[in-house]
Amino acid sequence: MTVLAEVARATGRAAAPRRGSRMSYAFISLYAALALAFGVLPALYAVYLAFTDAEGGFAGITNFSKVVGDFRFRPAVTHVAIYLLIWLVALVVLVTVLAIVVHAIKVRWLSRTLRLVFYLPGALAGASSVLLWLFVLDPTASPVGGLLTLFGFDSFVQVIVPGNLPVIFAIIAFWTGAGGWIVIMYGALNNISDEVMEAARMDGASPVQIAWNIQLPMLRKWISYMGIMSLAAGTQLFVEPQLLSQASNAIVPNDYSLNQLAYQYAFGQNDFNGAAAISLLLLVIALALSAVFVTRGGLFERD
Amino acid sequence: MTSAKLSGWSGRTIVTVVLTAFVLFFAIPIVWLLLATTKSARGLIVGNPFAPGGLGDLSANWSALFSFQDGAVTGWIGNSALYAIGALVITLIAGIPAGYALALTEFRGRRLLLVLTLIVMLIPNTALVLPIFLELNVVGLIGSPLSVILPMSFFPFGVYLTYIYFSTSIPRDLLAAARIDGCREYQVFTKVALPLAAPIVALVAFFSFVQNWNNFFLPFVMLPTSDGYPAQVGLTSLLASTPAFNPSSAGAQSVQLPTLALATVVSVLPVLIVFLVSQRFLVAGMTAGGTKE
Amino acid sequence: MVRFRAARRSRLAALAGAGALTLALAACNSGGGTTAGEYGFPQVEQDDKATITVWVDADRTKAADAFTKANPDTPIKVVTYDGSANGSNSFRTKVQLFDRAQSGWPDVVFSSQNNDAAWASQKSNGKQAFAAVLNDGLVAQDTLDQFTSGSLNPCTVDGKVYCLRNDLAQAVLWYNKTLLDQFGYQVPKTWEEYQALGEKVGREHPGYIVGTVGDAWTPEVFFWASKCRANGITGPKSVTVDTGSAECKRAATMLDALIANGTTPNVSVFTPEFVKKYSGKVLLMPGPAWYAGAIFNNPESLNVPKGQLGVAPPPAWGSDQAVTGNVGGGTWFVSSHSKNLKAAESFVRFVTTADDYQVDVAPGYPAYAPAAEKWVQKQETSGYYATDLKAVVEAGTSIWDGWGSGIFSQEAVWAKTITPAIADGKSLVSLLPEWEQAITNQAQVNGYTVT
Repeated sequence: MTVLAEVARATGRAAAPRRGSRMSYAFISLYAALALAFGVLPALYAVYLAFTDAEGGFAGITNFSKVVGDFRFRPAVTHVAIYLLIWLVALVVLVTVLAIVVHAIKVRWLSRTLRLVFYLPGALAGASSVLLWLFVLDPTASPVGGLLTLFGFDSFVQVIVPGNLPVIFAIIAFWTGAGGWIVIMYGALNNISDEVMEAARMDGASPVQIAWNIQLPMLRKWISYMGIMSLAAGTQLFVEPQLLSQASNAIVPNDYSLNQLAYQYAFGQNDFNGAAAISLLLLVIALALSAVFVTRGGLFERD
Repeated sequence: MTSAKLSGWSGRTIVTVVLTAFVLFFAIPIVWLLLATTKSARGLIVGNPFAPGGLGDLSANWSALFSFQDGAVTGWIGNSALYAIGALVITLIAGIPAGYALALTEFRGRRLLLVLTLIVMLIPNTALVLPIFLELNVVGLIGSPLSVILPMSFFPFGVYLTYIYFSTSIPRDLLAAARIDGCREYQVFTKVALPLAAPIVALVAFFSFVQNWNNFFLPFVMLPTSDGYPAQVGLTSLLASTPAFNPSSAGAQSVQLPTLALATVVSVLPVLIVFLVSQRFLVAGMTAGGTKE
Repeated sequence: MVRFRAARRSRLAALAGAGALTLALAACNSGGGTTAGEYGFPQVEQDDKATITVWVDADRTKAADAFTKANPDTPIKVVTYDGSANGSNSFRTKVQLFDRAQSGWPDVVFSSQNNDAAWASQKSNGKQAFAAVLNDGLVAQDTLDQFTSGSLNPCTVDGKVYCLRNDLAQAVLWYNKTLLDQFGYQVPKTWEEYQALGEKVGREHPGYIVGTVGDAWTPEVFFWASKCRANGITGPKSVTVDTGSAECKRAATMLDALIANGTTPNVSVFTPEFVKKYSGKVLLMPGPAWYAGAIFNNPESLNVPKGQLGVAPPPAWGSDQAVTGNVGGGTWFVSSHSKNLKAAESFVRFVTTADDYQVDVAPGYPAYAPAAEKWVQKQETSGYYATDLKAVVEAGTSIWDGWGSGIFSQEAVWAKTITPAIADGKSLVSLLPEWEQAITNQAQVNGYTVT
């Protein structure tokens, strides 16, 4: 096998690219078409919107200065920043740990059940979650009412005071989102070959050492991908505040996060240009931050 | 020796405690939601959160749900299935080969496509809705199922999953060897790569299905008539018929909260079924992956 | 290097593609043959046979059913949506997209909000306003005149009427007659008496309540009725906000006292918390007409038994004449783009005025006065109430006209800034400047000039 591979490497290198290249384009063609139609073109149109006014004339950076000067902008930035910090750290650390632990469980039904339980909340969305959180966060009717009273809350409004919101949103987002990532990480861990793990065990490595020295490095790309996606999801915080806003009849404002503010611009104020400007700002921030994950995680490299 | 055993034991206890805590964290709200479907509206509010209701209330909620707007719920679920599965099929046909090509072949524009895909994933959806709406309006698709299926079948998240999977778990040498054996490029993909890709196909299919099933804003914007609503959009109109969320709808005809809870449970059942099915493939992937060395 | 050039070329190609898209979009703006129109707005060519599309919320499907039954020959297509309820704003969201695409508008829309006329009456980025003018010949003046006076205010912009009101939501004083008699209290006639009674209840019967401040419509119930100029909409784009006035202060001072002694808790009437803590404990409750069905006579809420609930006119401030506020009430719009304005008009006229719907089916107090009279009679014969409903009818005509319906939501401003601050223990009087600032900010980003 290895000898064959060596030969292949020697001979294949020269011949493969040109022959493969045409086929590669066939492989990506449908996806590229979809990406062009529903990703790239709309994105370019958003760029066009961000630099024009309502009548279509060139507006320079007026849209940007308008949204940055909006009285809701600065609070929204602060909210998102605090939330992002809590959520990103919690997600990356806890998901990785939970996935490794669940993967280490050798009892099949138990591991499968655990994954199902962790995933279940991910199936809920939209209207369902509004109903759920209306009750869960109300100390008088909550299934975790005891816990809430323990923290000194005895009324729904007290639970959702502005200071608590970043933590609450992080909890909601973790509750719905973590299970999916645990499943992905679990799948990734499956691809680490048994021989490697066995060899490490024979050398007397403890489970923690195996996780640290073998599993984590192998998961590098996956973790960086999770980092980027969660970062994007975090900067684009929308669903969680929106559903609490509905459940609380607007006590949690519907312009809590930047993305909600963009939404308010577009559909509350009929200002798609301002909305596009906010979206571009968000994109720039997300790109800058994700550059860290791309380079540290070697996302574009091929081993 | 003893100390190692001791640390092993206490380590196990810590793991058990932590796992139990997380299981409770994830499960308690779900258990509450399931119990809520068996209660009366008043029982839900004043009763103990974990006291189960009765079968009578469950069946009352059931008939209330399915008589809402002459059984609109069945139609919503049918629509959701059409959109989610339609988009899922296109996603797989478009995305799996693309992920493979990005990971294991060499072509001009590879890096560009990777970067573009990443950028598009990072753009807030709010910015894309209007352009996509206008595009589909130009080609006259607004209101047709395609106006929902086509945008949903663009699933960059899945392409990245596939890309990372292929680039981390399939050795390029294996493909090169296949080429030496006389495989044509598409055969390398169909005969060698694809059989090893079952876990990732299952994973992408699952996530695409869930995302499509739960997508609210796209169908909300694209579909002008209520006959075409999928479950998520329909649930919102159900939500808007409960007095708790829309005081102006208070009246004898309004929907009660346990009915809403039941609607929720009914609407996520398909997602859970798909989850259980795709889990089998994830496990099957374990053995497939084992043969690769 | 090579790769870079390749990348740039495809970027250029993509840009060219985007250009084509904008061109295509520009091209479809010029379509459609519109004429000046006979009803005061440009209309498209009319077709009496054209099917009209009607958007209703789930409750109002009954209105559409009643119309079809009475007019089987008018072709209508009913679409249900969320009625723009609960801040979803879906009516406006959708119309904006249709405006951009210049097609797809429905002919008739029901909205559960009453701030939609504020935007629907205005041109959107230079394009024709969505709402049809109704009082320039489309709806007969006779019909419009019979709506309860003042009820069309939220539909009126610059003297033109853009929607018909489905129901009124005037605030009245609800009370539990049985409890009041048992405690030996009188129904307060002024807010001063109301406050005194609240303080007495706090001392003599702690745990009982005389109102709530936890809902977003608290300003409409207490501050509107106090003639507080927090929402003085004076034109399509101008508003007067002055929460420092004596009128605002007296309401705030009163509520501060009652919040402090626990008789008006900061709890929304639609939370489980309210039902659990205050079932059987609601002595008085200033609130909109629809509280009757929504919380009192509702098995999933307070569930007050038959024969206990009474209703009194809204209290007055001292010797002033009593005025009141209003909390919601749906509205019906006709699209100015409709191909069959005749059918659309007959639909909105039917659902707002015909007994078949407003009296026999509708849950809310009809805005159309003749229907309201019959509706009240019907409610009274049900025997549920401990008093007659004269107070509701009177309150319907005494809604103060100094509080308008702007494009932005006063309720959202209150919920966001004041409710959490009360929860933090701040007093309403001290919050008044903050409230004014919040309203001003919100008005300004929506393009209003604030004075």
